[in-house]
Amino acid sequence: MRAKFRIALLLALSLVMIITLAACGGSKEDKSASSDQPAQTGTKTDEGAAQETSPYKDKYDPPVTITTVWGVDPALKFKNGETIENNVATKWAQDTLGIDIQSLWSVTNTNNAYATKLRLAMTSGQELPDVLVVGNEDAQLIQDLIDSGAFQDAGALFDKYANEKWKTAMDLDKNVWNPYLREGKRMAIPILDYAYNNDYLLWIRQDWLDKLNMAAPTTIDELEKVMEAFKNNNPSGLSPDKVIPLSIGFKSSMNTWMGDPSWLFGAYGTIPQQWNVGADGKLEYGSINPAVKQGLAKLNEWYTKGFIPKEAALWDENKTSEPAVAGTAGIIPGPYWMSGWPLQDTAKNDPNAVWKPISLPTGPDGKAGRHGTPFSNGVILINKDMKNPEALFTYENYMFDNIADPQPGGPFENGLFKGYDYDVDASGNPVYGDENVQGGVVNAVRYLLVRDGARIPDAQMKALLGLANGKEATTRMEKDLKNNFGKETPAAAKVLMGQPNISFMNMYTGPSTETMQTKLDYLKKIEMQTFNEIIYGEKPADAIDKFVETWKSSGGDKMTEEVNAWYANLNK
Amino acid sequence: MYHKTLSYRVFTVFNTIGLLLLSIACIVPLIHVLAVSFSAKSAADANLVSLLPVDFTTEAYKKTIDNPLFLHSIWVSVKRTVIGTALTLLLAFLAAYPLSKENSEFKGRSVYAWLFIFAMVFNGGLVPFYIVMQKLHLIGSFWALVLPGAVNIYLTILMMNFFRAVPKELQEAAMIDGAGHFRTLFAIFLPVSTPAIATLGLFSIVFHWNSWFDGLLYTTNSHQFPLATFLQTVIITRDLSSMSLDPTSLALISQKTVNAAQIFIGAMPVLLVYPFLQRFFVKGLVLGSVKE
Amino acid sequence: MTHLKKYWPLHLMVLPSLLFLIAFSYLPMGGIVMAFQNFKPRLGITGSEWVGLDNFRFLFEREDSIQVIWNTLLIAMLKIIFNLIAPFTFAIFLNEVRKELFKRYVQTMVYLPHFLSWVLLGGILLNVLSTDGGFVNRILESVGFDAIPFLMDGSWFRFTVVASDIWKEFGYGAIVFLAALSNVNPSLYEAAEVDGASRLKQTLHITIPAMLPITIVVGTLALGNVLNAGFDQIFNLYNPLVYDSGDILDTFVYRTGIIGGNMGFATAIGLFKSVISMVLIFISYRAAYKWANYRIF
Repeated sequence: MRAKFRIALLLALSLVMIITLAACGGSKEDKSASSDQPAQTGTKTDEGAAQETSPYKDKYDPPVTITTVWGVDPALKFKNGETIENNVATKWAQDTLGIDIQSLWSVTNTNNAYATKLRLAMTSGQELPDVLVVGNEDAQLIQDLIDSGAFQDAGALFDKYANEKWKTAMDLDKNVWNPYLREGKRMAIPILDYAYNNDYLLWIRQDWLDKLNMAAPTTIDELEKVMEAFKNNNPSGLSPDKVIPLSIGFKSSMNTWMGDPSWLFGAYGTIPQQWNVGADGKLEYGSINPAVKQGLAKLNEWYTKGFIPKEAALWDENKTSEPAVAGTAGIIPGPYWMSGWPLQDTAKNDPNAVWKPISLPTGPDGKAGRHGTPFSNGVILINKDMKNPEALFTYENYMFDNIADPQPGGPFENGLFKGYDYDVDASGNPVYGDENVQGGVVNAVRYLLVRDGARIPDAQMKALLGLANGKEATTRMEKDLKNNFGKETPAAAKVLMGQPNISFMNMYTGPSTETMQTKLDYLKKIEMQTFNEIIYGEKPADAIDKFVETWKSSGGDKMTEEVNAWYANLNK
Repeated sequence: MYHKTLSYRVFTVFNTIGLLLLSIACIVPLIHVLAVSFSAKSAADANLVSLLPVDFTTEAYKKTIDNPLFLHSIWVSVKRTVIGTALTLLLAFLAAYPLSKENSEFKGRSVYAWLFIFAMVFNGGLVPFYIVMQKLHLIGSFWALVLPGAVNIYLTILMMNFFRAVPKELQEAAMIDGAGHFRTLFAIFLPVSTPAIATLGLFSIVFHWNSWFDGLLYTTNSHQFPLATFLQTVIITRDLSSMSLDPTSLALISQKTVNAAQIFIGAMPVLLVYPFLQRFFVKGLVLGSVKE
Repeated sequence: MTHLKKYWPLHLMVLPSLLFLIAFSYLPMGGIVMAFQNFKPRLGITGSEWVGLDNFRFLFEREDSIQVIWNTLLIAMLKIIFNLIAPFTFAIFLNEVRKELFKRYVQTMVYLPHFLSWVLLGGILLNVLSTDGGFVNRILESVGFDAIPFLMDGSWFRFTVVASDIWKEFGYGAIVFLAALSNVNPSLYEAAEVDGASRLKQTLHITIPAMLPITIVVGTLALGNVLNAGFDQIFNLYNPLVYDSGDILDTFVYRTGIIGGNMGFATAIGLFKSVISMVLIFISYRAAYKWANYRIF
């Protein structure tokens, strides 16, 4: 009986596996078969004409089709019964540009659903769209998609079809292409974003400083005096154990988007947990720089004195903002936009609270440093079987010309679509806000094929600086920044720009190297462990030397080599 | 009798107090979550809410319920829960009967049993599963939410063990009367299995009602979302390090209150089902009538 | 043929379930071969390179692999054991309650935490267990103890993980035991009472034996989770200070396999977990049969 059962089981299992393997093989064939046929109808007639003249047109007649898939932002709303597949923006593209945008599928992008679905689609041989937009939050997926071989040399198309405005914007930072280079070919077009979005400064309780008659700290030493006073002589009358002079946390990283201590290391000359350009011009992993030891020793001192949260090791980004919003924190490091969120809520809990941005304090050698923000937030991938790649450029060129920074008098001077993101009142003036736009405001810019339409990296900062220097808000962007971004934001931008050239960009943006794939996770783990143990005084600061040694010998040196080989190749 | 003894009375007092404390320990965190869900965002974000709402508002609930997808998603959820649970119970009920037999009564039973167990322990992972779903043309279909989970092995095995507790005499009597297996199953086993079916039904309802990942992966647009999936998409969790910023999204980043409200909107129907089903657990309600 | 003639109704009853299993369990199981591949999405299952046991080697060659496996096993085993004992005990005590309304009240209340997500609970635990004014530590301090670093000390971290999981799940887990108790024939208690058996004796000889079979079944099936220490929970609670005792296979797979896109490796870990679970289930099945003469399935 037992033997018979085992044989039966084995037979059944192997049969099933054979069937599955056959099925998987089959899916591959399906894919190649379907890709031989034109993906959409109605484009064939264009091909003959394309031989002589450039197929690029400002408007296509008959219309051409671009297929895509959508990872819909969960916050995105729709009105008038519209969907991501069919809405004011798709109609607009059809009418104005003769481009018909067709959705193969869409998913609300929560819990990595978009990345998971893309991965599954790629693996199961499902049809991939003509144009695929993927955010940098799925960096590894982008690399895998490029390596899937389903996409074409986007750089060549970019050179051929992109307009001047787009090209100029792209030239602001040549490094944006780096992650997507394959044998000299640029396999994806970076989606540009506003620069400096996550560059740090410090937010400080100005009302506390005023009451204490203290000036804003400019050095680490001065910062310590301020924290001491905030804690032991609190202007709001909080007892020392209730105050968090400096709200930071490092649950998963020392280098993130809000409330981390990376800038403290910057004061000693490095930024941990990223690849910086070293003194010799080669890339170096920030966490093994000797300056890290000083930074950790300082953090340990601050922990002992109660300047930082007792449970900082358990605190993630949002947690660090809690005491700041509650009115019990004195300083929180973070980006320039924080007065818009989360800090504007502080006044509701402590009516006297005034947050002001200040420059990052300098270390003993007068150094200051922060982590930089890449100029791009995602990529556009172009399917190698796409019939009319030029249509994508028609669309995006239009975006850069008209929507990236619309000027007064242009078609988009008030907003994108009337009745969606703005409306016009009886006297012809533009009105904004849920109460003024019938049926509520929707963020229609997210309906566009490429996320946010088009952004020119330095445009927002320029506008903010203008506002900070007292310029009247005239363009749409200026008005938007003034009305919606928090009242301290222009001032914060000015503070940020007051410390130029202190940003450390993560210079390694290539795919995971071989050693990274096998070793990186473990190395990161012992790094975080050692850092935390030093901060919490479980180990002396000298323990860092041991860590550096281990890091180097357990794959770190190898990784550095690989990273530098990639880096050297870029400049060839 | 034992109710009257002093020691039992003392025990009853302590038992009651103990259970009361236990129930409080379980419910206090829920009261906190409820308070957060009715609090102003500024208070919740500052971690200032304990057991009472601060600046009472129903904003968080409105935000969720105002969405046109909300009502529709409830309908999808009801449909999948009803159909899914019915299917699961039927399949489990049918399969549990032969599996509950002794090996001597049903040769081949062991093979089936191990096939079930094997399928419970091993799985091929998401990729091949997705391929199968695609081959069966289930992607984007309502049935993608129902069919893959139709056989709940765990529940089948539980059902099978409940069946074992059915007195042998009952079955034998039925067989002597000339009833076949199907008759025995439906005429004898069905009526005495009410507590078991209620239990498994509850598990199955909770499972179907709470499943959200399949709703995200096997649908092709948001109009196919069941409630649990829809609620997941209301909570906005994202990594700001790589997202593009604009004021609308800034305002929506921290959604502690919505997150809390979501729990109640999502779980309420299931919470109500349980007390209702409890009357099937009343001791001896069914089996008392079939005393040997 | 005679076999079929006699047993066809029984086969027919299993058939529908079996078809579903083949479609949704056994067909996809072919994907297990990915565990032996350097799986590349573009090459698919048929085209990826075969690497033998490399994926497994990668797991065991990591400096901390023993630690991670041990953490997983320890946390999972403690959860399995206590998630059996806690609802079992709770069911016994609840069974002694004679007021039906109170019984239902308790039953419903303890069942509620099951519906909270770990994301939310993580935040609550951080508050409640904080060494800096958290509720639990305030109580401990008021009766003269030192504050306990529940989430920042390795061994306390394990305790916290297991205890909070039991708190969350015992009420839900008790349902099946309470259902088993509702199967007990009341006349058994009546008879025992006539014989003059004390309530304790009745519990020992009627209540507990009535729950034992289902306990064995639930316990054995739980062994299928012997290497699942609870990803959602740990992911929301762990931090660098407790990596040594809190890092588990699933968090590790998440970081390298899912985020890193290394599906071959993720599959290999899955297979490793399944094999261990299967072995344990088999042993437990044999043991139950041998000593309790009970066939679990």
